[in-house]
Amino acid sequence: MKKWIKYFPLALLFSIGVVAQAADKPAEIRFSIPSTSFQTTNAFYPVAELVIDHKLLEKEFAADGIKIKYSILKGAGPAVNESLAAGLGDFGNYGDLPVILGKAGGLPTKLVLGHEQGGNTFILARAELHINSLKDLKGKKIAIQKGTAGETNFYRFIEANGLNSKDFRIVNLSGADGQAALAAGSIDALSSGYDRPLVDQGLATVVADTRKFPNSIKSRGALVVTDAFARKYPDITKRVVKVFIEAAHFVSQDKNLPELLRVTTKAGYKYKYQREELVNTSLKDKYNPLLDQDLVNHYKAIVDFSLQHKLIRSKFDVDQFVDKSYSEAALKELGLQHYWDKH
Amino acid sequence: MSKIKFTVLLLGSLLIGNANLQAAAKTSKHVSTERKTEAEVVEKEPAPAIETTDDDKLVTQRELQGLNSEVALLRDQLTRQLDRNIANSARSLTISGILQNRYTGVTSSNVPQASNGFSFGSAAVVSFSGALKKDYDEGRNLTYVFSLNGAIAPYNVQPNDVYLQYSIFQSLDPEKSTLNFVFGQQKKPFGLEPQVGEDKTPAANTAIFAGGSGLNLAARDFGIQFKGDFFPAYDAGYNYRVPFIEYAVGLYNGSGANATDTNKSKDVVARIALNAPVDYSSDFRGLTFGSSIYTGKKDLALNNGGTLITGGGGSASRVRYGQDISYVSSPIGFTAEYAVGRDESALSGTTIANAVKSTTESRGYTLTLFYQWGEQFLKLARNEDRLDDWWPKTYQPFIRIDHWDPNTAISGNETSIVTYGFNLFFAQTTKLQLNYNVSNIRATNTKANQFIAQFQFGF
Repeated sequence: MKKWIKYFPLALLFSIGVVAQAADKPAEIRFSIPSTSFQTTNAFYPVAELVIDHKLLEKEFAADGIKIKYSILKGAGPAVNESLAAGLGDFGNYGDLPVILGKAGGLPTKLVLGHEQGGNTFILARAELHINSLKDLKGKKIAIQKGTAGETNFYRFIEANGLNSKDFRIVNLSGADGQAALAAGSIDALSSGYDRPLVDQGLATVVADTRKFPNSIKSRGALVVTDAFARKYPDITKRVVKVFIEAAHFVSQDKNLPELLRVTTKAGYKYKYQREELVNTSLKDKYNPLLDQDLVNHYKAIVDFSLQHKLIRSKFDVDQFVDKSYSEAALKELGLQHYWDKH
Repeated sequence: MSKIKFTVLLLGSLLIGNANLQAAAKTSKHVSTERKTEAEVVEKEPAPAIETTDDDKLVTQRELQGLNSEVALLRDQLTRQLDRNIANSARSLTISGILQNRYTGVTSSNVPQASNGFSFGSAAVVSFSGALKKDYDEGRNLTYVFSLNGAIAPYNVQPNDVYLQYSIFQSLDPEKSTLNFVFGQQKKPFGLEPQVGEDKTPAANTAIFAGGSGLNLAARDFGIQFKGDFFPAYDAGYNYRVPFIEYAVGLYNGSGANATDTNKSKDVVARIALNAPVDYSSDFRGLTFGSSIYTGKKDLALNNGGTLITGGGGSASRVRYGQDISYVSSPIGFTAEYAVGRDESALSGTTIANAVKSTTESRGYTLTLFYQWGEQFLKLARNEDRLDDWWPKTYQPFIRIDHWDPNTAISGNETSIVTYGFNLFFAQTTKLQLNYNVSNIRATNTKANQFIAQFQFGF
């Protein structure tokens, strides 16, 4: 009897271990996604918002009894990194710079799908300054939000214009504070996304923007998965990737632009600017999710950029970080291997 | 008035935004990306997802008039509400509060004890705070805090924190040092137990050395404080900032909260803390070593009963110093703290001239170990927004050893309390604390066990 009591906890632990090993599917799949700054319950990236709005993952995994859990985080990319580091998320869907910073900081993740090329950056200046070019902003106070993809967008944009950070007085402000500061006249300019309410109000003018620049200087988000999840559930990982590819395929078609606009407007983006951003754009190029050489090169460039700006301490191998196996299998399954152009 | 204008503008934008949404919805039909079986495809000719787009369709004058009427109606409603029902303030204002309601029961004792019962904990606080001057340029903000506490016996409401704070250095760039100036009634920068929050102090009761029956370091005082940091490490990937050196130096009356000073001498309190300057993913994140010192003078009094020595000009020195170490990196947390007090008083005498002074040395320490399941202490929990009133449940068992020796020259007068506790965080500002205190008060030869159940809630 005594022996039985002595070994019972060990036996119990062993049984739990066996049961855990036997489980080939998780009880739930957890997604950590940044929110828009206007509607903090909705996803920042249109593809993710579409996946959520159309309940695509819930439908995919309904028969398996797997629950889908979304954590929509106001703290943008850094909050997604924190969520993955704390073991509270299996997948992260966020911008290039925080993906790189997380990985360089030791986050055990792999990049399994690209998404969304090039949200445009706009440099806004106070209307009364009558500034018409980036060069006229030299020496002026300009606000950016550090640690987000917007930071890289800004630096890459000014560098493409022959300028660098030392040409300006950089102030670190969140999106909302930056808008308030510009309206109050406390700063001279602001690096913003394409939503421009201050321009509508006559408080700011557009000094420069990236609309005519190649996509290579714009941000590119990604879907990442934790190593542990991918190792334990490779088939589930492939199916998640497949769902995101289906969503990318949907928004890549011009005929679906109205539905894309409905979803993004619901997420808080201003219809007028969303339409302007998307209507003369090749949706197929913009929402190309392929892990092609273009994307790999983009991430290598962001690693170099982060190192140069001392955002990370050491390089890591982007080729090792990018895992094409899931997307290649999913593309084949969907018959979409040749739908998007490889660059 | 400008607020009204702004609100009307905001409402207008929202309405237009809503109209945008409706316009977008109107031009689209729900499209499912579900793949159909071959049979379905054969049976039913798949309709094009979106046949036409009427994206450029203009609104009619009647629709526009309807929208204008709606905006005008909302503006009138809001103006009336602002005038009659909505509170206003001259500057930015946040109203918040913390309340503690507890039940205390003595489960066993070898001497007669006070009866069990319900009471406030140490807080029934309502707090008003905000910015008096916001500097968007560099974050050199001027802020204020005014709070009242009604939980201090005999339950008179008294000022708690009443201070102004100014950021002398910029505060926007996380990679630069900070320096703040605090003026008014405030906590003193000494140790952990006397001043830090629930992330490092899980027990319902303050450690003895920090409380009124110890060195009274948790009590507020009126004065000024400079606090800041040097050499911050910033991990942009997690928006995590940790300064290598944190410091604080304060000058206080020394007479405690809500009391005027009784002498010209001021007490000096200083603290320095060294944090591990590491990235978020480092195993050393959350490791801190701290040292604190408190030195000052008080009016000379007899050590038995505290009768003041007459004659004026008599003063007794008051010195406290302490060390602490903490390692709090969710899910585990550990703190250890040690504090010594040296208090001068008169052994005998009635005047300064014939007073005989002596020094009493007291000593206290605490050890706390806790573990937590849940996201309460992760920054992301405060960063997550959901349509429902979601908050991550967090469970936190802990153990704390609290030891106090009021006079090291006398043996057998120490008090030890071992607390076994469990905290349940179940809503954004609410927790249930269950503490079981096993006390050994050697001075009175009392051995008592006490159970505390306390709800702490805030708004």
